[in-house]
Amino acid sequence: MSELTYSGNEIQLVVFKLGREEYGVTILQVQEIKRITEITRVPHSPDYIKGVMNLRGSVLPVIDLKKRLNLPPEEYTDDTRIIIIKVEDINVGMIVDAVSEVTTIDQNNIEPPQTVVGGIAADYLSGIGKLENRLLILLNADAILGIGQEVKAS
Amino acid sequence: MDINQYMGMFLEESREHLQALNSCLLDLENDPGNLTVLDEIFRSAHTIKGMSATMGFTTIAELTHEMENVLDLLRKGTLRANDDITDILFKCVDTLEQLVESVASNSDTAIEIKPLIAKLTAIAKGELPSVAEQHSAQTATTQETEASSGEPSDLDDMEINVVTAARKQGLECYEVQVSLRLGCLLKSARAYMVMNALEELGEVIKSVPTVEELEKENFDNTFQVSIVTSADAENIEAAVLSISEIEKVDVVPVIIPEITEKSAAVADIQAEKPIVSNLDNKVAIDKPAKQAASEHNDKKHKSGQSVRVDIDKLDSLLNLVGELVINKTRLEQIGLTHRLADLIETMEQMDRVTTDLQAVVMKVRMVPVGQVFNRFPRMVRDLSRELNKEINLIIQGEETELDRTVIDEIGDPLVHLLRNSIDHGIEHPAERQAKGKNPVGEVRLIARHEGNNVIIMVEDDGKGINADIIKQKAVDKGMITQAEADKLEPAEAVRLVFLAGFSTADTVTDVSGRGVGMDAVKTKIEELGGMVDVETKIDEGSRFKIRLPLTLAIIQALLVKVSEEIYAIPLGSIDSTINITSQDIKTIQNQEAILLRGQIIPIVRLAKVLNVSNTCQQNQEELFVVIVHIGENRAGIIVDTLIGQQEIVIKSMGKLLAGIKAIAGATILGNGQVALILDVGALKQ
Repeated sequence: MSELTYSGNEIQLVVFKLGREEYGVTILQVQEIKRITEITRVPHSPDYIKGVMNLRGSVLPVIDLKKRLNLPPEEYTDDTRIIIIKVEDINVGMIVDAVSEVTTIDQNNIEPPQTVVGGIAADYLSGIGKLENRLLILLNADAILGIGQEVKAS
Repeated sequence: MDINQYMGMFLEESREHLQALNSCLLDLENDPGNLTVLDEIFRSAHTIKGMSATMGFTTIAELTHEMENVLDLLRKGTLRANDDITDILFKCVDTLEQLVESVASNSDTAIEIKPLIAKLTAIAKGELPSVAEQHSAQTATTQETEASSGEPSDLDDMEINVVTAARKQGLECYEVQVSLRLGCLLKSARAYMVMNALEELGEVIKSVPTVEELEKENFDNTFQVSIVTSADAENIEAAVLSISEIEKVDVVPVIIPEITEKSAAVADIQAEKPIVSNLDNKVAIDKPAKQAASEHNDKKHKSGQSVRVDIDKLDSLLNLVGELVINKTRLEQIGLTHRLADLIETMEQMDRVTTDLQAVVMKVRMVPVGQVFNRFPRMVRDLSRELNKEINLIIQGEETELDRTVIDEIGDPLVHLLRNSIDHGIEHPAERQAKGKNPVGEVRLIARHEGNNVIIMVEDDGKGINADIIKQKAVDKGMITQAEADKLEPAEAVRLVFLAGFSTADTVTDVSGRGVGMDAVKTKIEELGGMVDVETKIDEGSRFKIRLPLTLAIIQALLVKVSEEIYAIPLGSIDSTINITSQDIKTIQNQEAILLRGQIIPIVRLAKVLNVSNTCQQNQEELFVVIVHIGENRAGIIVDTLIGQQEIVIKSMGKLLAGIKAIAGATILGNGQVALILDVGALKQ
């Protein structure tokens, strides 16, 4: 029964993998998901910027999400994807190890990140979602892109 | 109604009309009696009023409404434009500009319009010096007013006859003055309803403005209708007031001036079918007005043939065309590798189409530079008044087209240059006369094509720039040493004005002289991929010459390779490419340099600057050097290989990667790969 009722508190997430961990980003920010393509390195850019890619004629920055979250790097596989998200008019790609599904989660099942993880990475998270026996780490896309970081620094 | 979706359109159109107001007012200042100009001013003010009222910006509507009152008097000839009036009108336009900009920026800074409105009403009441002229002006222009103006009881002979005849039949003739509520939308519809209501009561014999004008909404909030009816004044008033959005109705019987025997007699004859015959005559009377109206219509029709398009849409169109070109190249590749003759043939045709398509899209983005120039006459006028100088601004080549992106950016540098010419260049009239020059200074703003570039020049016939003073200033400010200054050629010394923090004005004025001008101009122009230079002759004047690329979107570039990475260097900044051996590189205080035709040129290793790993440069015997110029200086860039010259479409890398050192942008190569465009200016550091 409870699965059928729509509470209005639910959010839809695109679930993807980084190493063995499962992450989620709200579907409203996701523009599309692409296979890995050629990425041009941009000199003098922050280290978490993998480079730029060609998305149907426009040039798009690509973030190495693992580097951003201080996770160990891995070789790209057939499952590696680029999730293209749009935050405040900025389009950006994020490299992830695999995209697994789209799922719905009730907001009551989301815990604030500070209670679970500490350190720098906590800033990039907006919460931890509990989904049956799984834990989804919810990304704070704004922070990943560095939006509003100047505010934080001052 | 959600007005936000119309916001962009409102702002753009308002700015256009304000621009039109500015230039027309300038014309009016020179030719106060020009009715066409007045009409144009009136139309612009009227449109702004209508738009702002619809959008709910009452302050703008209120101010334009008051302006209209004055303009109307000017148009009718009851008032004659003089300096005071144009000044106030100019101030109104300025205030309107501020109001529109405050709407654009969503700020709610209160802008005071009351004093202006007070002045306008004073003018409208004739409380300004111009009153003295009023009478003579009125007589001079009665001819014009007769046909179109709406003085009460201003009936011509025919109409008078109708009225007299009607009275004989026991009918009464009233003049109905209808005021629509301020901010009434669809005024023409209301007017139509009023006319309908009146026609039910009797025969409408005249309306001011004419019915056509009413239909076109070419009227203020009030109009007058003369009606022959058996109903009495109260009935008429009630009938009109039953229509919504009517502010006020005044019904007064028409007073007929002394009727001569003759016209009374004529009236008698016509009494049987007075109205019909009158209508025929009325058509004839209205003809000139109609003609004017149809001319106006033609104009409207012409402007209706262009379409306003969001620049973003054009950008995405350009993107799509770029993508098409890339895919075409891929198809060609496939045709070649699989030896498909048919495909290759088809691709050749497609190549032509895409090339044309690209050209057309580029052309669509071009905008005449006049869009920027047309705000300068006003600025020059204000400046010359402020500085008590007489200046004649000559604009040439305003039809020269430039890419939209350049147009948007070029305004500020030009303002700087013009201000500079007027403030520092042109002397005061007395001084000019003493030098035997025309007391009226001349500033020329010239645009023209030159190959793949557009040249914009700001020339003045002022005092020129004294190289010695410039040198002295630069030394005083510690920008160069005395020894350096002594070595400088005059032409080069003059270029010192482009250095940051340089200002030659002895007194800092409001206009210029704060020392931020010229270097800002130079930086901006260089950002646009252009160059600026100056020539000057003492007491003859100076000329600032800006050279801009036709477009910022597509440039010629040299593709070079460093290790596996491909970079594009804009051809505009390349002097030449040379081959050297590693022995040719000398070091001067740890800075690598080569000697080229007697000139020492510092060397930049691209791999090092861009942190490219595993380059083959170190052990390579023969090196490729691209000689580039950065302003007046030159530098050599060492690359691994040269790929070749190519037309590239410049793409922005987005906000996230804006301001990355040494990279000006990105482009997409034929194989779909992204290549970065080098910012040559930032390399040499």
